[in-house]
Amino acid sequence: MHPLVSQSPPRDFLPPQEEARAFGKARNRILRTLLRQTFARSRFRVTLIVVLTSLLWGVMFWMFADGFWFLKTTITQPDTHALAVGGVFSAFFFALMLMLVFSSGIILYGSLFRSREIAFLLTIPARTGRVFLHKFQEAIVLSSWGFVLLGSPILLAYGVVSVAPWYYYAMLVPFIVSFVYIPVSIGAIICLFVVRRFPDNRTGVLAGGFLLLAVGGIWTVWELMTGPSNDLLTLSWIQEILGRLRFTDQRLLPSWWLSAGLLDAAAGAWAESILFFTLMISNALFFRQLALWRAGKTYRAAYSGLYGKTVRRKRFRPMRFDRLLYRLLSPLGPAMRLIIVKDVRIFRRDPLQWSQFLIFTGFLVVYFILVPYFTYGVSSTSWVNMVSFLNLAVVGLLLSTFTTRFVYPMISLEGRRFWVLGMLGVSRRTILWSKFFFAAGGAIVPCTLLVLISDLKLEVSWLIVVSHQLTCVVLCLGLAGIAVGFGAWLPNFRADSPSRIAAGFGGTLTLVVSTLYILIVVLLTALPTHFFTAADLTNFGWDIDTQTGLRWWLGFWLAAGAAASLVLSAVATLAPLWIGFRTFQHTEF
Amino acid sequence: MIEFDNATRTFARKVAVDGLTLSVPPGELFALLGPNGAGKTTTIKMLTGLLRPTSGAVKVCGIDLTADVRRATHALGYVPEEPFLYDKLSGREFLEFAAEMRGLERATVKERIQRENGYFELGDFLDDLTETYSHGMKQRIVFASAMLHDPPVLVIDEPMVGLDPRSVRMVKDRLRERAAAGTIIFMSTHTLAIAEEIAHRIGIMDHGRLHFLGTVAQLQRELASSHTRLEPLFLELTSGNNGRPHKETERRLQVEN
Repeated sequence: MHPLVSQSPPRDFLPPQEEARAFGKARNRILRTLLRQTFARSRFRVTLIVVLTSLLWGVMFWMFADGFWFLKTTITQPDTHALAVGGVFSAFFFALMLMLVFSSGIILYGSLFRSREIAFLLTIPARTGRVFLHKFQEAIVLSSWGFVLLGSPILLAYGVVSVAPWYYYAMLVPFIVSFVYIPVSIGAIICLFVVRRFPDNRTGVLAGGFLLLAVGGIWTVWELMTGPSNDLLTLSWIQEILGRLRFTDQRLLPSWWLSAGLLDAAAGAWAESILFFTLMISNALFFRQLALWRAGKTYRAAYSGLYGKTVRRKRFRPMRFDRLLYRLLSPLGPAMRLIIVKDVRIFRRDPLQWSQFLIFTGFLVVYFILVPYFTYGVSSTSWVNMVSFLNLAVVGLLLSTFTTRFVYPMISLEGRRFWVLGMLGVSRRTILWSKFFFAAGGAIVPCTLLVLISDLKLEVSWLIVVSHQLTCVVLCLGLAGIAVGFGAWLPNFRADSPSRIAAGFGGTLTLVVSTLYILIVVLLTALPTHFFTAADLTNFGWDIDTQTGLRWWLGFWLAAGAAASLVLSAVATLAPLWIGFRTFQHTEF
Repeated sequence: MIEFDNATRTFARKVAVDGLTLSVPPGELFALLGPNGAGKTTTIKMLTGLLRPTSGAVKVCGIDLTADVRRATHALGYVPEEPFLYDKLSGREFLEFAAEMRGLERATVKERIQRENGYFELGDFLDDLTETYSHGMKQRIVFASAMLHDPPVLVIDEPMVGLDPRSVRMVKDRLRERAAAGTIIFMSTHTLAIAEEIAHRIGIMDHGRLHFLGTVAQLQRELASSHTRLEPLFLELTSGNNGRPHKETERRLQVEN
């Protein structure tokens, strides 16, 4: 036998510290390369992300600082003020904690059970716990990032408003990191439990959990918005609201420890703050160990069990809907109809696409139904109109994220299998038009319906309803044109994942142009409509009935705004498509 | 030694591998063949510890993969059909990671990478990011990583997919050399010509069961066929058997076990 090959198994394993070091070294190398590439290749995207994130952060900071100033000036009694701020903190961190449990569970399911990396790591002699920790740490970083973005404005705003000592700021990061460990560990334990015990019904369990969370959230919002009997934003109103949120103020909740520890630090009670910090960190370590212990016991078995349940062949037959759609699309010609029906089938059979759309649409429907209750009796026409136009913009923005994420990559993805369409002798113009009709047609129905629900709940005038429906249709056409046109103009045939394609330069540009287009169209129509229909224009010192000149000018502005938005929409629809056609005609695959 | 002891793996109601009993001794190059859905990939996944048998046992060098998967995988080198590499690492960095995880000393790592570089001609692209590699380049890196620690058992799923003729030659030579040195090579393939050329023994699976185990000459004798090449023999065996092993094979397997 060759001297190098021994049939006896190796006895020595890599010591745990060295194993951790090897994982850490590989991860650092990956991170360094990723950062180097990102800054070298995607400066535009990085700049955009930094600018938009800073903008969002700044707005949140300003909003929270303003809120804390309001509380400080409204509630002058120190104990009541501390209780009120404590209530706000507890409710905020409680909501974040629930979100973290849920999101980390989903993140860990993807990384522990679905990634190709795991199939590699489980075949090398790494400790199961180390493989779990490797992914657990990634989940911690991902979750902390979200926490920093959402939590830091509120915490820094409070520090500034309450003139907190330096150690308040110094303790923010350790407090946040140790807090994040707890919900992420709980999410990991739940994820392992569900996959181990319910490998067949994990989607049902997930959907049930999500439904429970959504119902709980809606119930809480409903309770807060429908009940308060006191005057808006008065001391008694604040006390009533906080009373309804008391369930988040339980002493056994980590969110309460975080809230109490940070408030003590801000108030100069550093000893109490450190007490809460040690409580937090000991619980964080306990839950981390618990998750690690469960992973050691169940992870490999859960992985093996999951793959014993997923080999199912689904049989798909043509649906009546497809045949109906094919007939409805008869004016478009057979080739275009076939491509559209094929795209509809692919869309329908890819839950990733429609489930995201469905979730966000569901949230918007709930919000639109609840929106009248948010007005707290403020029901002036100008307020209602403003909200209705904001809702229109929100629907447009939601659509723009979906056209960027799912429509923009369609041409790039088609490029990888271009031989299918290429060999059929279909003209490239037909392919692009079919993508456009698919995107626009698929967007118009849900978006106009959403806007209609919002308008009906807000009881706006029929003029506004019609104006919104028209605006919504042109928005759908424009966004589809931008996404399809840019997709053909700036394709990425190297990447095979839609999310990667959408995250590139072309996708970022599509999102930016789409956002600008929505804002301009909504402003062009919203502002003149707002002034024209506002019944309380006299608030501005004008009298619309007596000053016919002003009325004429407002009418002209309304017509001009509508015409301008139509012209802009025509340009936004046709110009990108024209550019896309020209490029696509000469693209080599 | 690789040992499958009545290993069965079910997927819900489907039996993917049905009571597989098989031993592969040191120095043997064994090829597992079978049509799509025969149970080859499930067998490979049980052998690498990714899947646990529903009943029965799988052992590598005497270690039960369910009881002590870590020690068992220490004795394995695995080349999957779809090679996984970290996109943002270079080939050398990936090999260093794989070697470190096997507990090799730094100096040995360097020397082994150099050695595999010689066998698989990795020099041109070893320091490039793996995201720029073709399928064949990735496959060569994965082959190198599986052999860095001189494992007593090498498990390979579809070894020649995506390789150019020169790389195929390299891989075949290296596998023969490793087998001559005492390594067990367990490969699953659809490329019958490769199995015929380099395997000492072949196993043919269908419907989760082992239908034949032995050499090509034995297969010819058992089927009483005039054909001498593996392809017609394979097609003859796997068509119309209704999931039952060949009678002679069944008898011989019972005698061997």
